Amino acid sequence: MDGHVSRRMVAGSRFLLLVAGVLVNSSASAQDIPGPPGKAVHYSPYPAKRFPNRVYFGDTHLHTAYSTDAGMVGAILGPEQAYRFARGEEVKSNSGIPVRLQRPLDFLVISDHAENLGLATMIAESNPELLKSAWGRKIHDLVKLGTIEASGQAFNMWAQAMHDRKDPFEGQERAMAEPIWKRITAAAEKYNEPGRFTTIIGFEWTSGPNGNNLHRNVLFRDGKDRADQVLPLSLYDTQDPEDLWKWMAAYEQKTGGKVLAIPHNGNLSNGLMFDDVTLTAQKPIDRDYAERRMRWEPVYETTQMKGDGETHPALSPNDDFANFERWDKGSFGPQAKDKEMLPREYTREAFKRGLAYEAKLGVNPFKFGIIGSTDSHTGLSTATADNFFGKIAALEPSDDPVRFDEVIVGRVASPDGRDNKIFARQTSASGIAAVWARENTREAIWDALARKEVYATTGSRLVVRVFGGFDFTAKDLERSDFAEQGYTRGVPMGGNLERPPSGKAPGFLIRALRDPDGANLDRVQVIKGWLDAAGKTHEQIFDVAWSGNRKPGKDGKVPPVGNTVNVKEASYSNAIGAPYLTTYWKDPSFDPKLRAFYYVRVLEIPTPRWTTYDAKIFGVTLPTDVPASIQNRAYTTPIWYSPV
Amino acid sequence: MRFRNIVREPLLHFLLIGLALFVYYGRVAPSDNHRIVVSQALVDDLARQFQATWSRPPTDQELAGLVDTYIHDEILYREGQALGLGRDDVVIKRRVRQKLEVMSEEEAARTEPSDADLAAYVNAHPDSFRKPATVTFEQILVATKGSGADIARALASTRSALEGGADPGTLGQATLLPSHVEGSALDLVARDFGEQFAGQLESLPVGQWAGPLTSSFGVHLVRVSARRPSLLPSLDSVRALVAREWENAQRKRALEESYRRLRQTYAVVIEAKLPGTPPR
Repeated sequence: MDGHVSRRMVAGSRFLLLVAGVLVNSSASAQDIPGPPGKAVHYSPYPAKRFPNRVYFGDTHLHTAYSTDAGMVGAILGPEQAYRFARGEEVKSNSGIPVRLQRPLDFLVISDHAENLGLATMIAESNPELLKSAWGRKIHDLVKLGTIEASGQAFNMWAQAMHDRKDPFEGQERAMAEPIWKRITAAAEKYNEPGRFTTIIGFEWTSGPNGNNLHRNVLFRDGKDRADQVLPLSLYDTQDPEDLWKWMAAYEQKTGGKVLAIPHNGNLSNGLMFDDVTLTAQKPIDRDYAERRMRWEPVYETTQMKGDGETHPALSPNDDFANFERWDKGSFGPQAKDKEMLPREYTREAFKRGLAYEAKLGVNPFKFGIIGSTDSHTGLSTATADNFFGKIAALEPSDDPVRFDEVIVGRVASPDGRDNKIFARQTSASGIAAVWARENTREAIWDALARKEVYATTGSRLVVRVFGGFDFTAKDLERSDFAEQGYTRGVPMGGNLERPPSGKAPGFLIRALRDPDGANLDRVQVIKGWLDAAGKTHEQIFDVAWSGNRKPGKDGKVPPVGNTVNVKEASYSNAIGAPYLTTYWKDPSFDPKLRAFYYVRVLEIPTPRWTTYDAKIFGVTLPTDVPASIQNRAYTTPIWYSPV
Repeated sequence: MRFRNIVREPLLHFLLIGLALFVYYGRVAPSDNHRIVVSQALVDDLARQFQATWSRPPTDQELAGLVDTYIHDEILYREGQALGLGRDDVVIKRRVRQKLEVMSEEEAARTEPSDADLAAYVNAHPDSFRKPATVTFEQILVATKGSGADIARALASTRSALEGGADPGTLGQATLLPSHVEGSALDLVARDFGEQFAGQLESLPVGQWAGPLTSSFGVHLVRVSARRPSLLPSLDSVRALVAREWENAQRKRALEESYRRLRQTYAVVIEAKLPGTPPR
């Protein structure tokens, strides 16, 4: 490792970051238990079992040097190194630090930004096609000039193009993008090892009207043969998600393949992510819109480095755990956040509003599954507090104040003078996409996403399983064929309940297991949302399983689990909490006439936040505006109830 | 003993090779641009940076590695500069190095491996391609916590239930840990049960309930029903994987080779006192 170089590099990149800020401101930047051993036969005992029998953990959102907003600010790791790292090999980070994952990921989607894909790499290679364009020649020469000023100017050139939504390579888009796209798809094929490590081909479409985040990652179920028949859709082509859906439909028609999109960071959309009106026509969303949205976007990324999107304290004032890794100052544009934007930004509220839309339109436009992922721009998918390599290359671990103090959001002051800044220290070491599948293959993982049998974690590899049905009893929870019973007599996460037998309420079988190398569990909660007869939405949180002998208070809330975190040592102990929690819970206030959803939230005991590990390791001062310890968690996709 | 340690010190080898090369190429006296001085201040700075990242001083070997990387970067950077690329920004310095590396790699990537190349590569790196040993087992999580006596009681009652013919799937704690694992590699078992548990599986007898085994979840009884030893697959079944690794090795070799050639034209002067070097 060349620490000497990395220190200067951070200083150099600082300026670039500043420029990146201008860009982002002025435009859009960027096991189940297998069945019972039965009659003591244990070779190939379950050939008939068709249900998903285990969880695979991965990241559907990783950038490499091929993303221009990563490659132009110090990221040099490309797709191959990113795959090698994710499958468990040691690599050298962008700043030269040897880095390895404690446990490999099961799958990875490299989702580089479509906008001038691979520009930094092509500059580095003095690519002849790049040099054909006057603009390409100029940005190439600026970068090669090598001064900080020139690099800043180069980045500005690209920022301006993004802002104007005018592709600087107009007329040669295909010649520029195709070789890079083919390298990306080739790398995916090279590292895809069914049964051990799955690669899914993808890209990010970086739409952000006025800096408001409408980004979507597009995931292909297919291999290189089909994916190579198209080039990624970019912000230059369109910034309206409805056009993206058209593009996706055209891809499927042309190739016979399958593709889905995963939006993220509603918290930086200033109310646009789950809007009541369409983006371009600004007309109220209708049944057709709802159908298309759910056809193409079955899953939403609810937690990642740029903040947690489950809910907001202002939306869920009775939720003691709502104030978690919050990014609510604004978007990438200059406009600061207004409270009225919040309901159209957060997952739980979208689920609630979706019920109202379903009542009105006949189709729920927000009936999506949820996952977590990192959105790391370093080629390194690191989602845990004790191994967090930051959002961009310049913020890799070091004692440089830039790692905490860099401004990520709000680099340009809000016109009304309100505080709109969010700093690097507020970046969240998160998240993980967990999918229930039968095998670790591209098809099985993509299919799990498409049917929403997925959940989000904020970095830990918690295992959570839930089944909802009308005739479950507490006894089913202990059955050795728990999963088979769950699928036969009920539905898993992502499923839908309807037609209750008279007088029956939905009951839920829930099992949660902590990360084998992680923190114990504090509690399991069921979060219920419903639409009352008057058309008003509600939410209620039920503590349904918890560790130890705690007794719920009069308000039904179980008291806090305690906190074993030693801030100075950045350590914790599993002396509190439980390694697993399991329960059967039946909705005590079910009304068969009302639409509802139920999802499970599992909370770990408090553990040190990444900033606390940093303070210990580098001897830097602990920041005061982020907590020293946090409770990592998992959120499942809901099970919905619809009266018919 | 001390002499032997010194003789085995890679840095010494490095210095001796450097010296030999210096003598060999002495006739072509390197210009100032082909002279790299590793000063004490530089080495102290490298060590300080390492300490800041890892909260400990580098070992002698690590320090030698840091110096080596510095020289490597510096040479490729100067070569790039000589080609008119880049000046003084470190991001650019990296890019220049990357460009030179890409140029060498492209050369390497043009070669297609023959079957003989791939077979030779597998023979030279069998561990990279060996299919891991797999194990098929059932497990019962008997207890998660409690006193030694509680756990002993739980173990005894589970064992006697098993002897009485009880269905193992109905015993122990109902968690999301698989009660039956079919033909799984040990490293994949470790992803579910943790390293500690997976490590203990290897020594268990086949065909009988054994244990207790400890995991981060608690205490387990385990019955291993089958094992498959690790085996080296046929080239046909892993051709794509071997080709990928072969190609990577070729790239790496091309980089090393091109660096070695350049390195020969530089005089590297280590002024700093590095640990493991004989006093001057």
